Amino acid sequence: MTDVSMHLNTDEIELWAQGLLPAARAMHLADCSLCRVEAERERKVILELVQLPQFAPGAGFADRVMAQVKIPTPSGDFTA
Amino acid sequence: MFSLLYRMVRDRALAEDLAQETFIKVLNGIKSYRPEFKFSSWIFKIANNAAIDHLRRKSIDTLSLDGAPSAETPDQVRATSLQLGDRAESPLDEVQNRELGTAIERAIARLRPEYRSCILLRHVEGYSYEEIADTLELPLGTVKTYIHRARNELRGYLDDRRD
Repeated sequence: MTDVSMHLNTDEIELWAQGLLPAARAMHLADCSLCRVEAERERKVILELVQLPQFAPGAGFADRVMAQVKIPTPSGDFTA
Repeated sequence: MFSLLYRMVRDRALAEDLAQETFIKVLNGIKSYRPEFKFSSWIFKIANNAAIDHLRRKSIDTLSLDGAPSAETPDQVRATSLQLGDRAESPLDEVQNRELGTAIERAIARLRPEYRSCILLRHVEGYSYEEIADTLELPLGTVKTYIHRARNELRGYLDDRRD
């Protein structure tokens, strides 16, 4: 059993930032301004990271890749 | 996977080359794939290795706007700093600046490559710590340390921006 007065460790802060920390441990944040500030800063960074966009390569990328892939033929040879 | 490469090397054309190299290795080497390994992890592993190899070859430890990590004197820092705006911007440069010009993207660029891979896999690709350890062939403890340090550094860079 974990004492509610114990400071959150880095793993717990990450869980809290993702909304996954068990309520019993999250209660600590109500009384500990040190952990609250730390957790809030961590949450902001994680939020910025998870909101980053995905990028895609330019048009024709798949064709350029497939042009260089060796495709096995029924005879066991490879064709480009 | 392209996003990871792009954020690792911060050059769209180069990221496409590395992505192409990765897919060709994957498709031509499909027989060496071990099914006990997650397929996407295998692809990320090949892609990450390609990016890290490239960065090492080019001796770009971090693509810093503030000079090479090895720079010790103000002159060395100036000489190795990335000079923005000292040449005409191509359309591709403009795209890159738009895509990677935000504070968080610039902060990520300042991280060591090993930290960058881990933090991107964790928070952009949504990998668990264990999956990152498998993908990058690093001990679990090392992955946790890298990610915690990376987040601390990012917080520092972003706090500097806000001051």
